[in-house]
Amino acid sequence: MPVQFSKTFVAAFAVAALSGAGAALAAASHDSGQDAGEAAAHGHSDALPFGEVGLAAEADRTIEIAMKDNYFEPEALEIRAGETVRFVIRNGGEFLHEFNIGTSDLHRAHQNEMKAMMESGIMTATGMNPDMPNMAHSAMDMSGHAHDDPNSVLVEPGTTRELVWKFAAATDLKFACNVPGHYESGMMGDIRFVKPAQADS
Amino acid sequence: MNGEQKIMGRRHPSSHGRALSKSLAVVGVASALLGALPSLAATYDLTIGKTKVNITGKESTALTVNGTLPGPTLRFKEGEDLVINVTNTLDVDSSIHWHGLILPAAQDGVPGLSFDGIEPGTTFTYRFPAQQSGTYWFHSHSGLQEQAGVYGSIVIEPQNREPFRYDRDYVVVLSDWHDTRPEAILANLKKQSDYYNYDQRTLMSFFDDAATNGLDATLADRLAWGGMRMTPTDIADISGYTFLVNGKSPAQNWTGLFEPGERVRLRFINASAMTYFDVRVPGLEMTVVQADGNNVQPVNVDEFRIAVAETYDVILRPTEDKAYTIVAEPMARTGLARATLAPREGMAGPVPAQRKRPLLTMADMGSGAMAGMDHNQMPQDDAAPAAEAPMSGMDHAAMGHTAMANGAMANGAMPAADGARQDPFYAPGSGLLPTAANGGKFLSYADLKAQKPLFEDRPATREIEVRLTGNMERYIWSINGKKYSAADPIRLQYGERVRFKFVNETMMTHPMHLHGMWSLLDNGSGKWNPIKHTVSIAPGTTVYTEVEVDAPGKWAFHCHLLYHMATGMFREVIVEGGPQTAQAN
Repeated sequence: MPVQFSKTFVAAFAVAALSGAGAALAAASHDSGQDAGEAAAHGHSDALPFGEVGLAAEADRTIEIAMKDNYFEPEALEIRAGETVRFVIRNGGEFLHEFNIGTSDLHRAHQNEMKAMMESGIMTATGMNPDMPNMAHSAMDMSGHAHDDPNSVLVEPGTTRELVWKFAAATDLKFACNVPGHYESGMMGDIRFVKPAQADS
Repeated sequence: MNGEQKIMGRRHPSSHGRALSKSLAVVGVASALLGALPSLAATYDLTIGKTKVNITGKESTALTVNGTLPGPTLRFKEGEDLVINVTNTLDVDSSIHWHGLILPAAQDGVPGLSFDGIEPGTTFTYRFPAQQSGTYWFHSHSGLQEQAGVYGSIVIEPQNREPFRYDRDYVVVLSDWHDTRPEAILANLKKQSDYYNYDQRTLMSFFDDAATNGLDATLADRLAWGGMRMTPTDIADISGYTFLVNGKSPAQNWTGLFEPGERVRLRFINASAMTYFDVRVPGLEMTVVQADGNNVQPVNVDEFRIAVAETYDVILRPTEDKAYTIVAEPMARTGLARATLAPREGMAGPVPAQRKRPLLTMADMGSGAMAGMDHNQMPQDDAAPAAEAPMSGMDHAAMGHTAMANGAMANGAMPAADGARQDPFYAPGSGLLPTAANGGKFLSYADLKAQKPLFEDRPATREIEVRLTGNMERYIWSINGKKYSAADPIRLQYGERVRFKFVNETMMTHPMHLHGMWSLLDNGSGKWNPIKHTVSIAPGTTVYTEVEVDAPGKWAFHCHLLYHMATGMFREVIVEGGPQTAQAN
């Protein structure tokens, strides 16, 4: 088991380094001396190359997202480059779901992480495992997932969460649920940037 | 043609129209008309007849539905009232059973139980509502006609949005074809079984003998017996199958098209008479989203085993502009079914070499102790090594019979004694335990969880033991030691919830199919236990299912290995009481 665990944590760290924060990516490219994983784990930064956490008070508009088993409504989003959107996400299903804004590569990395969380028992199909609180916390802290990841929220069945996101320039983004099997079977959608003239701002 | 037009003129989901027509193109010429005709009433016409086929290089006669092998894909819509006219042009009685569909007993298509069968030259009209959605199939329930080609697929479009998305939709019917007439195969099996008269051996008799004669002598005895059983030509007959995908041999290479980046739904149906398949698409992960027509919580796998009569729907995401090979290897590695997913017609991916044949171990003999029972698994050349290998397995078998044969109890938590991979649905140490070709994830029954439970989770009112037994001596397969003709029906009361305890005392894996009512496979998931119509029970294991008894009348209950069913592994189930009591008598 110890071997298994350290693998999980290593994976979680790697994912955190990739996806947890803009600082992580920046570190990888031009500041390799910095411990990217550490930065991500502590949530010191909430910026990513394609945007950052925004303030609800500054939101240009609110988009309501309904989570079902296992799909989103709506199935695609239209966004303007530079706008701040307050997402209100309600999970009306019976299973745990995630709302995550990212590139395909980031989603893929998240899928590996969530798979590890599922296999270790920290997470179940219906929520975080209450029988493993310590493990859950440490893993979530390590991974930056759920509460630390600026571009993602986990929404348990019957609950509503919010994510305010300030989009940067237009790029190829998707919103997705990376609970194992969900993205793969279609619980994801395109984020289409409209009015491309504004995309360069 | 009128009938076919009606069939093919059915509505179809426009979003999948393109894939649909491609999928059907394989099935028959008539399907080319699909897109061109308007939707009509929900009336279908099927004709059972004889068709010349050439699958192995030599012409042979198949029994077919609407002239094709397999028959057409019937596309129903959940909630519609179906009228299906089935005309029998054979010179013997025939029938069509709607495998996995919930319907009134009189519409189930089992001669002698549901109705009298369809006499030559007559038409029987089935009428029932489509109460469910998903992937199913149909086949003759008369004699051995199913082996000769009387089978096809059913796709029922749901009323509500499915919990998954896809851009392409293909039915993938796996089957085993033999140029030898099935009656001749069965005759050979029975004739050959007289070769060496030996009573059914059980684990207990094995140990009784071992106590009397010593272990070595007893083992040698069993192996000698096993060896005798391995030699005859009946094995060659059964193992002379050609494995088909949508009626195409590996050389004919059925192909489904995709554009890179699309989600492709494959609806696998195992319409074989006798063959389990291990299915994979090298280079692609598969997300299992449905089993036996019922949605399951999506599970990502690299490979899965499909028992005879089961269905699995998977979603794949091919991203590269290249051909991917669909590989379906028979569990006994006696050949290969092969098909292709490709961006364009005419492309082909590499076809992997057939993997090594699994060898049964003593764990698999644990309950039956009959090396020879498994003609599919152990040809004569392999009998000796198979038998020698597992002396260590003896201990497993000894304990396993009672202590470990609790597949359902072991909800994945069974400790691995030696660090080897474990699956609660195989006997510990079983030679049949599958592993993924790429070392990755192989689907287990333990992974299947209902996406949406159909029934309230409640305790069963009683338990019924179903021991799966066999007497190889006369090629008789049985339940609780009795073949069908010698057994009383199983009587269930409408409204009760029955727990079935399947104890496999043979060396073969049996796909048990209960008609008319769902079987909830107890894999330890509680309210999320998967909802199935066919449950496979591996040698040396005990598996539990629960059934909400909600369908009055007479139902068939049997092993779906055709020659096992035909020789006695079959029961009549009578559901007494309920709204249509009269039907039960």
